Amino acid sequence: MKIDMDNVYKTADDLEKHGQTVSFNVDNAIAHIAHWLPTQGPIKDFIHHNTLHSVQHFPFHHGVAVAAKIFGARSYLPLNDYQDLYSKGRITPAALDWAVKRSGLIGKPQDELVGRLFVRDAHSHYPPISIATNGIRTALLTYLEVDLNGRVHPVLFRLLSNFLDQGISRWTMPKSGEGFWDCVLRLVHNSFLPLYPFHDHRLRELFLETPDTVIRICLEKIVGDKTLYEQYILEMLLAHPGWSGMVNMIEQAPNILLVPRSISLKELIAVELACELAFLYKKKGEAFEGISQLPQLANIPRLSEVASSAKVAVRLKVWHEAMEWALHTELLRALKTQAPAPKPDAAIPLRIQSVFCIDDRECSIRRHLESLNPAIETFGAAGFFGIDFLYQGLDDAYPVAQCPVVITPNHLVMESGNPPKPKDSDFSNMHFRAHSLLRGWLFTQTLGLGYAIRLAWNVFSPTASMAKIQKLSEIKPHSKLHLLRESDVPTKDGYLLGFSFKEMADRVGGLLTNIGLTDNFAALVVIVAHGSSSVNNPHFAAYDCGACSGKPGSPNARAFAWMANHESVRKILRERGIDIPTNTRFIAALHNTSRDEATYFDAELHETFAFKELEAFKATMTQALERNAKERCRWFELSPKAHNKAHQHVRARASSIFEPRPEYNHSNNLYCVVGKRELTKNLFLDRRAFLHSYAAETDPTGSILVKILGAIIPVCGGINLEYLFSRIDNSVYGAGTKLPHNVIGLLGVANGVEGDLRTGLPQQMIEVHEPARLLIVIEQSPEVIDQSLANIGDLKEWLDNEWVRLVACRPTDRQQFLFTATGWETIDLPVDASSPLFTRPEQVFDVQNQTIPAHQLTRSLS
Amino acid sequence: MNGLILACQLIPLLGFVLVFLSPNNEKVISTISNWITHLTGVSIIALLALWVSHGFQSYEYVWFSLYETADYHFPILFYLDRVGAVYLVCVWIIFSIITKYCRYYLHRETGYKRFFLNIFGFLFGLNLIILSGSIDMLFAGWEIVGISSFMLIAFYRHRVQPVRNALRAYTIYRFCDIGLLLGTWMSHMLFHESPHFSQMASLAENNVLSSLGYGELSLLTFLIIIAASGKSAQFPFCFWLPRAMEGPTPSSAIFYGALSVHLGVFLLLRTDPIWSYHVVTRAIIFFIGLLTVIIASLAEKTQSNIKGQIAYASITQVGLMFIELSLGLDTLVLLHFMGNAFLRCYQLLVSPSIITHLLRVEGAANTDFYIEKNPMRQFLPLSIRNQLPEVLQNTLYVFALQEGGLEFLVRSLLWTPFKRIGGWVNALNVWWLGLMTLTALGGGVLIATNTAIDHKYLAIPVSIAMIIASSSAFSQKHSPFKVWNSILLSYILSGVAVLLINPHIGSDVLMFFSGILPSWLLGIIVLSKLLKNQHFEAAPFAFRAMAETQPKLSLLLFISFLGLVGFPITPAFLSEDILLAHASSEHPWFALPITIAFVVNGIAAARVYMGLCMGRPNETYTV
Repeated sequence: MKIDMDNVYKTADDLEKHGQTVSFNVDNAIAHIAHWLPTQGPIKDFIHHNTLHSVQHFPFHHGVAVAAKIFGARSYLPLNDYQDLYSKGRITPAALDWAVKRSGLIGKPQDELVGRLFVRDAHSHYPPISIATNGIRTALLTYLEVDLNGRVHPVLFRLLSNFLDQGISRWTMPKSGEGFWDCVLRLVHNSFLPLYPFHDHRLRELFLETPDTVIRICLEKIVGDKTLYEQYILEMLLAHPGWSGMVNMIEQAPNILLVPRSISLKELIAVELACELAFLYKKKGEAFEGISQLPQLANIPRLSEVASSAKVAVRLKVWHEAMEWALHTELLRALKTQAPAPKPDAAIPLRIQSVFCIDDRECSIRRHLESLNPAIETFGAAGFFGIDFLYQGLDDAYPVAQCPVVITPNHLVMESGNPPKPKDSDFSNMHFRAHSLLRGWLFTQTLGLGYAIRLAWNVFSPTASMAKIQKLSEIKPHSKLHLLRESDVPTKDGYLLGFSFKEMADRVGGLLTNIGLTDNFAALVVIVAHGSSSVNNPHFAAYDCGACSGKPGSPNARAFAWMANHESVRKILRERGIDIPTNTRFIAALHNTSRDEATYFDAELHETFAFKELEAFKATMTQALERNAKERCRWFELSPKAHNKAHQHVRARASSIFEPRPEYNHSNNLYCVVGKRELTKNLFLDRRAFLHSYAAETDPTGSILVKILGAIIPVCGGINLEYLFSRIDNSVYGAGTKLPHNVIGLLGVANGVEGDLRTGLPQQMIEVHEPARLLIVIEQSPEVIDQSLANIGDLKEWLDNEWVRLVACRPTDRQQFLFTATGWETIDLPVDASSPLFTRPEQVFDVQNQTIPAHQLTRSLS
Repeated sequence: MNGLILACQLIPLLGFVLVFLSPNNEKVISTISNWITHLTGVSIIALLALWVSHGFQSYEYVWFSLYETADYHFPILFYLDRVGAVYLVCVWIIFSIITKYCRYYLHRETGYKRFFLNIFGFLFGLNLIILSGSIDMLFAGWEIVGISSFMLIAFYRHRVQPVRNALRAYTIYRFCDIGLLLGTWMSHMLFHESPHFSQMASLAENNVLSSLGYGELSLLTFLIIIAASGKSAQFPFCFWLPRAMEGPTPSSAIFYGALSVHLGVFLLLRTDPIWSYHVVTRAIIFFIGLLTVIIASLAEKTQSNIKGQIAYASITQVGLMFIELSLGLDTLVLLHFMGNAFLRCYQLLVSPSIITHLLRVEGAANTDFYIEKNPMRQFLPLSIRNQLPEVLQNTLYVFALQEGGLEFLVRSLLWTPFKRIGGWVNALNVWWLGLMTLTALGGGVLIATNTAIDHKYLAIPVSIAMIIASSSAFSQKHSPFKVWNSILLSYILSGVAVLLINPHIGSDVLMFFSGILPSWLLGIIVLSKLLKNQHFEAAPFAFRAMAETQPKLSLLLFISFLGLVGFPITPAFLSEDILLAHASSEHPWFALPITIAFVVNGIAAARVYMGLCMGRPNETYTV
């Protein structure tokens, strides 16, 4: 039977006539729905962000509860985990009191709450009944006894993944420029073989309509009640959040794909609804009951009521806040009570300065450098070093953005040098393409046996064999960046090729001002970017620099050093009051955070100036890396106990095909300190702190702070919340375990061949993470911070709703103030509290598998 | 040598038992698996060395007789020859590598113990297949490999999709067991006892084969081919292999890249004398290989995920092996098998590297291989080079995208009929059903007592009823109890049918029920405990995650499930075989319904187990 179009519309009209002015606008509905979808782009550039951005306009706890009701996820750790932390002493009674007081309960309810805190309850953390798992769609499918997800998803995912594929399959599905709907339409209507399940003649006719009409017709049949349309579509899309989110991301920004594809959420919804309708017709004929006819419709949770009906689990909330506050006060106490910094030793002249990324992984290497060589001073800045551009290296097929995702770069920088050798000659990689019939046959018959040896070699002796893999995140030092702009004509993509001297001076000067390095330059300034090399790791981008959109920061460091070394740039800077002495040299380097190795770039510059300093820096760095490797090994259960094997062990990790944890990245990130290095120099922060240099006295109006906050809130806050939610519910907010992951179309990973794309972080990245919100401590008076906060725009939401915590540490007396939506609260720590003391940092290397509270370091004894 | 064969066979079992008994402690399990792997490796190498020193002679070892009556004989016997030796070498190499790999790769994984349990179960089954001396023994190993494969696909039981795909692979396995089960029985019938593989080669020489009917041999070959193509994912069963890649990558590598997928080839190599005798049977294998090669190599072109691509590439090569087999190129097949096993294993293990490889090493995204840009195009005449009509391209694409439509084909041919019958029966009123059964029974008894019809013919309606009962279990979705009961009913009917056909084998039927009844009872008790506070009717399709919330009861349910499906842990496994042999030696038709019932019952029970025990716990389904 043909679908009676007129009839469908008549019914809708009838409804309106009868005074039910329910209307449904497809575009509005899609706009609402898109808001709930994950915003993770293709996996090649992994950008950390708040997993729950969709509820960021609510206060943290309420937002998390709303999200739990939508996505069916846990909101906190299991109750037992908190109780165990309490019994271990990591959650202090004081922090618990603090959290109870802030629970919003007073009097009797509060007492009851306290009474229930220590009751053991193994089931407390199961996810709630939610829209995604128990909504109207699930009710319909249960009622009709049709496993639509099991039928529709394989068909839909195949179409989507083949349409969006970036290079795995040999035959490309869309013709150049063809949209998703047109492509499916072509296969449905113009093929001798039926495209299952669209071969039904009713569906074939349906496909001749526009996607808008198809959506309306299908919803009319399946749902029937216009008020429920939006919820139905949302539930349908949330049954596969990964693909829905990916389509939405691509629709919003088609250039995140290397090979652009034209697809929209609307087309996806239309195809999926048509597919559902096809299966329902097949199973139930045309006269099946829609949702509006379900018997127990009233009992099913509604989307419109979620925000008001979501309940915060008070007991878990209190425990969680107590844990966070206990951890936060560890730092606050250390900052407040640390012994006054010893006067700089006049006997050691300052000879070397180095600028690191704020990344928490650089926190420890800076500590080691400074303690090994007092002549080294370190600074922290966002790892793109203020230079925002698109970069195309010699090996890269396409330019990629090298700056935080909030900035849209206008400049393109190319690398030049000897082109790499032709790729086909690389015999060792033949297995990547040995799939086809004849080649596969020849290959298996001849070389196949050799793979037994290769495999055995890779598994039993990982460090020996994988020298080639360094390509992944290292840039060959022997090449040049094309930085200086030669013509103002933009490229055909609208980018400017390189920078002018003024633009260079703006960027270099901007960074130096941000970190408060405007005078007292040493003879050598090393700009240390970081990247991470790993093998057999689809999430490699999540291991690189978060401030460079998941790339190694080396191009930025090289660009910065080149610019800051250039006399024309220095001249402009001098006019602006930043006088870089002639004999000061900037050298770019890359810290490989997984292998703990350093590479220095542009070697031809090394010998001209500051040769001695550079040699000294390199020597110290080698030692520091050794120590850093040891410090990292305390988290690796399978690492050798002998300290001298630590470095070898971390290198083996980064080059073993069987190692799902080349490093633990940002695990346990917790603090972000914006201030002078003196504030944290004598503290042991256990690689948990993002450190940004900032000189309060140079910024009386808070304008510098605005720029800093503009980078650290989305970057560090995003990293922190992504780790937090991936840890709290690894199967909904995170990507689950890495072990079964299968790479789909170079877009992402899925479980198995027909799974949904997984968003968030895999279990192997977050398993040791203590999920607590970020504490940003700014060494500045609350008044100045207030001025800055007035100018940070939408980012204020993060602070007002407590998605990150902010504490001001007054430079004059180190008095601390906690930011709340209603104003600053003075923080009164117990008077007698003081931080524990480490005399030798090596003490910590043996503490396995647990975080260590902030300690004071007394270097004089070591 | 005997001792070494037993060592190869039993050490993995020892590993399984040790891991099972050990606490859920990674270090302990890791040490055990390390030692067991080394021990197995040493015994394999020693065995092979000894075998080589004996001059590559095929060797047979009869351990003892498990069961013996006048006309039935089930010996435990092992056999080692060139084919087995090659497979053993591969098992040794791949297994040593994978265990080492997994000890790091699975570090801190929650299912660490479960994984190694399954892996050792798999190794045990695998060695049983490779070293088995007769089809019966091989069948036992086949079942063990099937179950461990099923458990590893569903390893990540929190997610619905692995569970669903595990069931899908299991149904194919189960169906293909029909082939092997009937094949076993047929070989009993044809050769009067389960032929030792050692004697098979001589069958042809002694003209035993030529004395047999052409049709019978073809049928036997056909059955063996079903079993082989199911396990090796050949036409028409190609589709399950990529979908089975749900477990941890190394388990996919060892099962679907390296070893399990080549077991079909092994079976054909083993039974070579049976089917290579006739041109037609060779031709069947040739065409299965050819069809597979065509479909799989096309399907591989449109796989946009890396594991699926490797899976289809592997299927293509196994298809080529089938072709080579049919041409009698046995040595080439062995070489090809080793090459393919190692290469695919390696490719799967490094499959996560594909992103970095394509983006950074090859420097090229999007292959841009539109169909018409085939490099072969230049050989076409200019006039038609660009004229390949679009509709043909689309057709080819749709064909490749749907992987030849094999899944729809298999589903509609195999499972839809059972669903239909079962759905129809389940829709009937219970009283109505009871009334009909009673009438039929009464009628049957009446006819039997009052007329001269041979009792044996009563077995026909009984076996129809048995199939209906199985179908009812198959499509029953609303009550696990009903599924369990229908399965029992189906087994009882099969017992009745067997007795009607051959009233003298009461003791064997009794042995059969000594395995089935306790399993059923256990299942019912466990089910009633599990479902005590559940409103099953409210959400019959929800996955209830009881393996996590009620682990002990779930384990019991699993054991009950294994017992019900005739897994080689209860006497039911042995008697399944015996019943078949006895009942159908005179009435061959009976073999078919009884096998179908066994298979369908197994699938129904598996579905119940998955629905209750797998999934992710949430507030509703937690007591």
